Amino acid sequence: MSSKKKTQEPDADVSMGDVPAADTEVAVADVNDPAMLAFEEQRIRILPGSLATAASFEFQKEDHTLGNALRPEVEFCGYSIPHPSEEVMNIRIQTYEGTTAVEALEKGFNDLMDLCDVVAEKFVAAREENVSRMES
Amino acid sequence: MDYDPMVMDAEAMGPSVKITEAGAQHVDFELQNVDLAFANSLRRVVLAEVPTMAVDLVEVEANTSVLADEFIAHRLGLIPLNSKNVDDVSYSRDCDNCDNYCDQCSVTLTLHARCTGDEIMKVYARDLVVDQGRPNQWVGNPVITDVDGLGTIICKLRKDQELRMKCIAKKGIAKEHAKWAPVAAVGFEYDPHNKLKHTDLWYETDAEKEWPKSKYAEWEEPPQEGEPFDYDAAPDRFYFELETVGNLDPDAVVQQGIKVLQQKLAAVIQDLTEGEGGANGDAYGGAPRSPDVGMNGGNWQDQGYTTPFGSGNASAWGGGATTPFGATPYGQNGSGWS
Ligand SMILES: [Zn+2]
Repeated sequence: MSSKKKTQEPDADVSMGDVPAADTEVAVADVNDPAMLAFEEQRIRILPGSLATAASFEFQKEDHTLGNALRPEVEFCGYSIPHPSEEVMNIRIQTYEGTTAVEALEKGFNDLMDLCDVVAEKFVAAREENVSRMES
Repeated sequence: MDYDPMVMDAEAMGPSVKITEAGAQHVDFELQNVDLAFANSLRRVVLAEVPTMAVDLVEVEANTSVLADEFIAHRLGLIPLNSKNVDDVSYSRDCDNCDNYCDQCSVTLTLHARCTGDEIMKVYARDLVVDQGRPNQWVGNPVITDVDGLGTIICKLRKDQELRMKCIAKKGIAKEHAKWAPVAAVGFEYDPHNKLKHTDLWYETDAEKEWPKSKYAEWEEPPQEGEPFDYDAAPDRFYFELETVGNLDPDAVVQQGIKVLQQKLAAVIQDLTEGEGGANGDAYGGAPRSPDVGMNGGNWQDQGYTTPFGSGNASAWGGGATTPFGATPYGQNGSGWS
């Protein structure tokens, strides 16, 4: 299905798989260095057509690891990887009244961060317990 | 509605970790009360994104063995190298200190072997000599775990055959090349009785009889005879069996994995918050940009929204194109881009 030429119809059934190859200016900077990520230019953008409470985000250089793990408490949240050979991941968020999609996204990431903290903590504790159990 | 105090307790406790077995090169643990997606993210990150050291560059000075240079270079790359405190090493590609490699972003190992006797000589990982200049005292040491202290075999030499090579080990992750994988395998398992029917078992006559049960089957309640399918059930106990290749301690691999996940999160959170608070408008030029211009406002996308392809509100794909989300029943499309 060619989406390039298609004129826009209000109720066109557009699947997530049909995202046109979007950004040709994909930065060459490296994904693999977490330290570098912080200094990189923006990797996230809002896709056209988004509203405050219903927005689509495009993440450069992210994949299932982040996309699937993100579970904000919203009306709807879904992600897709439009093409396996492009390092792009899209997230769609629709919120209830009162919060914006950006806020929900941010809260989702912050909650995940806290979850990581807890799991790391629990793992260390379990490891210490295991060591002392072995020694005794 | 049934009120199960056990379930309530477990939920109140939040995530939990139980280590069932641990050794020098493996750790088996159960992760409870997290969702499948998170457990899977941990698996993915441990498998492919925890940094380690591996030989990445080989300068061949002499190779009169029967193996081709690149054959040996490949073998050298696959030798596990100690990666303890690999955070001390910077990534070579963004090292501030050098253009190629230096002792802050690499470890040099030299290999010099020559067969002088009539017997076939075997060259092992232990024959790699590690240079002193390196980020810390562990990084780059070949992993040697066998009783004879030999390590991985690299090559065999006949009389008068010689190897003389300089191996540059760098930091990297398995997403780029599998030689940087910290683990040989990550076992990942949940729902041993397949109550959730996430697995569709192939069978001749009876799947129940033909498929052996996992050892974790004893840990969970088997399904009752004629039990109806629970449409609301979700997996919440995950069994990991992590086996390292010896370059990092198994628990370090898990902890580093979580750290990598957090670094990813930190990067996107920073990107998001910077975008919100930061200067908008011209400052960003034509670069791709994120949700900055006060999302709460009514017409945030009327101004300052730039795509890398053009000015103002132009769509990334030119007029008339649809976005994957553009024509939704949830609201009108933003003005000016269609
Ligand atoms: Zn350097």
